[in-house]
Amino acid sequence: MAITPFERDLVEAALGDVYDPELGLDIVSLGLVYDIYDEDGLLVVDMTLTTPGCPVSESLPQEAGAAVAEAVGPLGRTSEVRVVWDPPWSVERMSDEAAERLGFSRPRPDPVTVRRA
Amino acid sequence: MPASVPPPDVPLSFLGASGLALVVLGVVLALTASHIVSAPSDDVPIAVTHVAMLGFLTTGVLGALHQFSTVVGMRPLRSIAWARVTFYVVVAGVWLLPVSFASHDNPLVAGAGALLTIGFCLAAWNLSGPLSSRRKDPSLTGLRWSVAGLLTTAGFGVTYAFDRNGTWFNLSPNVDLAHAHIGLLAWLGLAYVAVAEKLWPMFLLAHRPGRSPGVLAVRLVPAGVVVVVAGLLTDERYVALAGGVIVGAGLGCHLASFAGLVRHRRRPLELLHAFVIASAVFLVAAAGLAAAAGFAPVSTTVRSGLASAEVAALASWLGLALLGHVHKVVPFVVWGVFRSREIRTGPGGRPLLFADLWRKDVGRATFVTATCGFSGTVAGLASGLAPLVVAGGVCLATTGVLALANLTLTPLRLLHRVHPEPPTASVVGVTARG
Repeated sequence: MAITPFERDLVEAALGDVYDPELGLDIVSLGLVYDIYDEDGLLVVDMTLTTPGCPVSESLPQEAGAAVAEAVGPLGRTSEVRVVWDPPWSVERMSDEAAERLGFSRPRPDPVTVRRA
Repeated sequence: MPASVPPPDVPLSFLGASGLALVVLGVVLALTASHIVSAPSDDVPIAVTHVAMLGFLTTGVLGALHQFSTVVGMRPLRSIAWARVTFYVVVAGVWLLPVSFASHDNPLVAGAGALLTIGFCLAAWNLSGPLSSRRKDPSLTGLRWSVAGLLTTAGFGVTYAFDRNGTWFNLSPNVDLAHAHIGLLAWLGLAYVAVAEKLWPMFLLAHRPGRSPGVLAVRLVPAGVVVVVAGLLTDERYVALAGGVIVGAGLGCHLASFAGLVRHRRRPLELLHAFVIASAVFLVAAAGLAAAAGFAPVSTTVRSGLASAEVAALASWLGLALLGHVHKVVPFVVWGVFRSREIRTGPGGRPLLFADLWRKDVGRATFVTATCGFSGTVAGLASGLAPLVVAGGVCLATTGVLALANLTLTPLRLLHRVHPEPPTASVVGVTARG
């Protein structure tokens, strides 16, 4: 069974309400959600954490799991959130708004690369 | 919370008692400033020193270690019940000892020393659970050595406590200094250096390439302290100097580690880093004061003042670091308490954040009073000016009140304001994949 666009939207919206309590930003804007896919009927969310020793390393994935289950459970979907470390999280994964709120002025793209693209 | 982490009352009780001790420390510093400046080796200054070293610093660091050793070692304490017993034993000893010094009651000094030794042995036994983890981690290495430093300090201290008349060994100022340096560097300083290696990358979201200089720091500091203490006990100032150079190299690695993390940080600096940077300034000042106390051509009185100022500067290094980190650690622990009570929203109905559990303006005021307080105390001791110590004491007492009020009243006010949400019914499995 594939993930429908409706289910993907539901999951992303649910994860958008899960906040990193230290940074005050949701995990989607932070770029912590890597993938949402179907695995033999199981809806799987791959997410990471900002650092391996993150103080909310247990509670944040649990909260994400609860949010996803609440969103897709009524559709008869079972779900699982998996914590992955590869690739490691980086600032570049954050949305522009999140980067701005954390006070980052991200490096501008190399003009040569932009021209080639 | 990770399953290995102890219940919140364990770290919070130690940290609360440490905050109260800071208030008392400030008050007694202000009240006894002239005595401290004129005769730093007398019983009353020694009592005040023990309020600082044991009541404020050791109690606070023990609270932090009961939390962090379990995170670093990924193993629980050996016994939560005994952790609570440890708290009561340590707090009783911590307060009995200065009182017994100040009242010149030698049997009471011995009793308090024995009580504290029991408390520290209990703490070491309990912490040995998480610290016996087989993980390769510089923080674990440093914490193991620092607990050894705690036991050495306690062993040294209890011998002192039972030998107040100097029957077994000469109670010279150098012996005092040796004791102070084991406690400040091998126990408290090393614990901070070790814990910082774990906390700073998290707080700065820093992924540093390559090996941390902190790996060297956790080895050089304890090795150097052994040499410093040997030099002090044998009155060989060049041996002490050599030890000082080794400790300095270790602490230099610690500061280099911080600088590297700041360079590779992924979020802006914040209040914690103001505390950390100010605390590092005191560390550098302590090195300068130690060199001056050891080698400057000055009178015995001035040398004694410089040595006292050096000890105070080391305590200030650790005090500022402790105060900065409790503004991170306490909200984190309290957040867990709120979540366990199903309180998930903060002011305005948005998700509960660590930042909702303390006030930044009060935190900034705490930083200012703490920095002024420690500066006044160190400057007063170095210059022999009691009014500076009085001002320092007043600022430190204010710091303790501000920190305690901020970290306890802010969550309590929030608790009364927000309405708990009903518990969520859905529970899903969470697995980790490499």
